[in-house]
Amino acid sequence: MATNPRPLWQRVLFSVWARPILLVVILLVLWDVTIRLFRIPPYLVPAPEAVVGQLVGEWPRLWRESLVTTYATLGGFALSIAFGIPMALLIAYSRTVESFVYPLLVFSQSIPKIAIAPLFVVWFGFGIIPKVICAFMLGFFPIVVSTVAGFKSVDSDMIDLARSMKAGRLATFMRIALPQALPSLFAGLKVSVTLAVVGAVVGEFVGSNSGIGYLLQIANGNFDLPLMFAALVVLSLIGVLLFVAVDIVERLMIPWHASHRNDFTATA
Amino acid sequence: MLKRISTFLAAALTCAMVNGPVAAQPKDKVILMLNWYVYSEHAPFFLGKERGYFEQEGIDLDIQEGRGSGVTVQAVAAGTAQFGYADVPTMIKAAAKGAPVIAIGVALQTSPMSVMGFTDKNIKTPSDIKGKIVAVTPGDSMSQIWPLFLKKTNLKDTDFQQVAGDAQTKLNAVINGQADLLLGYVMDQAIKLQDATKKNVYPIRFADYGVNLVSSGIVVNKDYLKKNPDVVKRFMRAATRSLEEAAKNPDAAVDAMLKANPKSGVKDSALVGMKATAALYKGPDNPNDRPFRAGSKNMNETFALLVEYGGLDKATSGKVEDYYTNDFLP
Repeated sequence: MATNPRPLWQRVLFSVWARPILLVVILLVLWDVTIRLFRIPPYLVPAPEAVVGQLVGEWPRLWRESLVTTYATLGGFALSIAFGIPMALLIAYSRTVESFVYPLLVFSQSIPKIAIAPLFVVWFGFGIIPKVICAFMLGFFPIVVSTVAGFKSVDSDMIDLARSMKAGRLATFMRIALPQALPSLFAGLKVSVTLAVVGAVVGEFVGSNSGIGYLLQIANGNFDLPLMFAALVVLSLIGVLLFVAVDIVERLMIPWHASHRNDFTATA
Repeated sequence: MLKRISTFLAAALTCAMVNGPVAAQPKDKVILMLNWYVYSEHAPFFLGKERGYFEQEGIDLDIQEGRGSGVTVQAVAAGTAQFGYADVPTMIKAAAKGAPVIAIGVALQTSPMSVMGFTDKNIKTPSDIKGKIVAVTPGDSMSQIWPLFLKKTNLKDTDFQQVAGDAQTKLNAVINGQADLLLGYVMDQAIKLQDATKKNVYPIRFADYGVNLVSSGIVVNKDYLKKNPDVVKRFMRAATRSLEEAAKNPDAAVDAMLKANPKSGVKDSALVGMKATAALYKGPDNPNDRPFRAGSKNMNETFALLVEYGGLDKATSGKVEDYYTNDFLP
């Protein structure tokens, strides 16, 4: 790879980091062309340049509100981890707990959060707590499901081998089960963190004096579609950044996993 | 053209002679999208439908519920619905952004906007608001006019506390005591609060303190209007009759609404709401006008308020006559 004969511009253009940006640019152009071609009026879909204009012009405000939303998201995500992983361990290691709790968990997950979100405001007021809980409600489930799957799919031969070598329960868990479960645990964390963003905004929609959800409501009331789209862009960026953050932690914790080995693509 | 007129006349004649469901006559199917889920304010349209006012005008009316005036206006602009029952100031803001919509009749000439709380809290005048907590919905029409009410009543935003939430949260907050007051409509939120708690509600009306904007009205797509002026005229004739009859006979109107939508309310409070709604049909301009006729003074004042407080851009929004017409009223 070091002896790449391609010119610099090609290396930059096709580098892993540039690819999504390239796609975004293509999508922006398509968006603009579609609007011009089909004469889509700005009160239905705003032009990309108007959205970019608001993104730049309203940046201080967008930044301020996005911090609020990020705090709520991170709070909900932390709660999801704190409750989700222990819960998953209990389910994975105890058939009794699984039979009691798992069906109920699935049941609770099918409740539309937007329907009960107003109650959170009634119970917990207008502060950050209802948003954190909304984020938690959405972020919790994927962590549980994928962590359970991760621990259940641990190779039983490996467990037997460890036992035959007189490894204690803790050692077996730390050396065999946990490392094998981590990849799917992280898959769950990645889904969770993006959903937590959605949860936080749902919470803000329902009752809030700040945050991106609050800004979205105001933009909507004023037919300010460019501002609304700008807020959505910022919101997606929060999701992307948090996703990348989880990805980096994953690389640090399981550098050996196939998805992070650079030679993987070469052998595939 | 002559042929079309004569066919129309013939059709009208048959209609008049038979005066009832005419199976052979193809009716104009139109959708009226409401501003919200059905509640007492909408009862007149159900009365008109039940009594056959629309049918007699050759209109097959389909009433659909809405999710806020903004969405209704967008649906009308996009042609999903031909007619919308929506907040006219909201429509003006959308039209100023380029939506091809126009108001062809203003139902509520006096603003139903108010700040309300339970009667036992004893908040009867604006100065009583001091030190209280007010629940608002960010971005809605009332929260935008609220600063003007404060200015007219010499209140500052520091005189009270404000919490923000969606429509349901606002009600919940007052019901559960998280807020003392909310910004709402006299015939909507006031009734909902009473239904939920059986406690009386006292609304301080914005209109009583010199803040009057027109409110709900009928909006239509401009292209549709250009192509079907005749349908629009017939629609407004039936709608005017509906409002007049509902004002005279609120009981029947509420019954018609509850028959069509049993979940839309409770008879007693819906009746109170219908009567409160009918009280808003008359505007300050000419109290003897038939329903839907917008007075120019009233419209001008509304427009001026929107420019000053409602986020309407003075430079690009033209004049108020671009946003409404009385030409299609009977």
